[in-house]
Amino acid sequence: MVGNDIVDIALAQQQSNWKRPRYLDKIFTQKEQDLILQSDLPEIKLWQLWSMKEAAYKLYTQINPCRFFNPKAFECTFSNGAEVTYDTFTCAVKTETTSNYIMSEARLKQDEMLSSVIEFEASSVSTQSEFLKDCLLSEVAHYFQTDRKQLNFVKQAYGIPTIEYNDKMINVSLAHHGQYGTIAFSR
Amino acid sequence: MNKEELIAKLKPIIAPYIQDEESFKNLTEDTDFVNDLKINSANLVDIILDIEDAFDIRLENEDMEQMLDVKSAMNIVTQKLQG
Repeated sequence: MVGNDIVDIALAQQQSNWKRPRYLDKIFTQKEQDLILQSDLPEIKLWQLWSMKEAAYKLYTQINPCRFFNPKAFECTFSNGAEVTYDTFTCAVKTETTSNYIMSEARLKQDEMLSSVIEFEASSVSTQSEFLKDCLLSEVAHYFQTDRKQLNFVKQAYGIPTIEYNDKMINVSLAHHGQYGTIAFSR
Repeated sequence: MNKEELIAKLKPIIAPYIQDEESFKNLTEDTDFVNDLKINSANLVDIILDIEDAFDIRLENEDMEQMLDVKSAMNIVTQKLQG
């Protein structure tokens, strides 16, 4: 299983004013806030931690189907490699940071990154999400050496995305923000 | 404050963050912030802060947990105002 998330850095700067009162405190634990504020690039650190939390949430909800919004409860720690902990759940997270985006991927154990990043040309959000789904179906079809027509993209309960192939259910993760999207599937 | 008044007060709070105009025009109690209005999850925090300011209330993390649709937002605000 795999959960991922992506932040378009330029768009995040436009969309979010992280310096507004109480903003950091709603999302981040005191330790995380200290990490952000002590960083040379606080805004990059902030979106790195945010994307780690989102990726971990997506992995968690694949294992425990449900839906909720409580980013602060997903705590990022770095003492044992990058990890996110929620209650008794812990996962390993890898992050790829460029000057344009920050992408995080959560796995149950440290493993090689499965996510690919896609840069969009279209600007409409619904076109982007269709395109992203398309790219994912192509990647999965290629991996299983099958025709795309054999694959069904299905949202399970709580909107958790999967691909059905023969009698298999493949866990997938998709995220998009601004000009960037990311896709991954379990293999 | 009745339901219509509450929705009327919530709408302009939500408006700056929506990415689906059509769903916003047809907003009801059942409208989902993420699935219907395509609000970016980082902006959910802004909506929560804006609600706190507009109603002069404070929301705990447990209150935020279910704040994913209009109905839940209305319930939480109503509870807090009565609280």
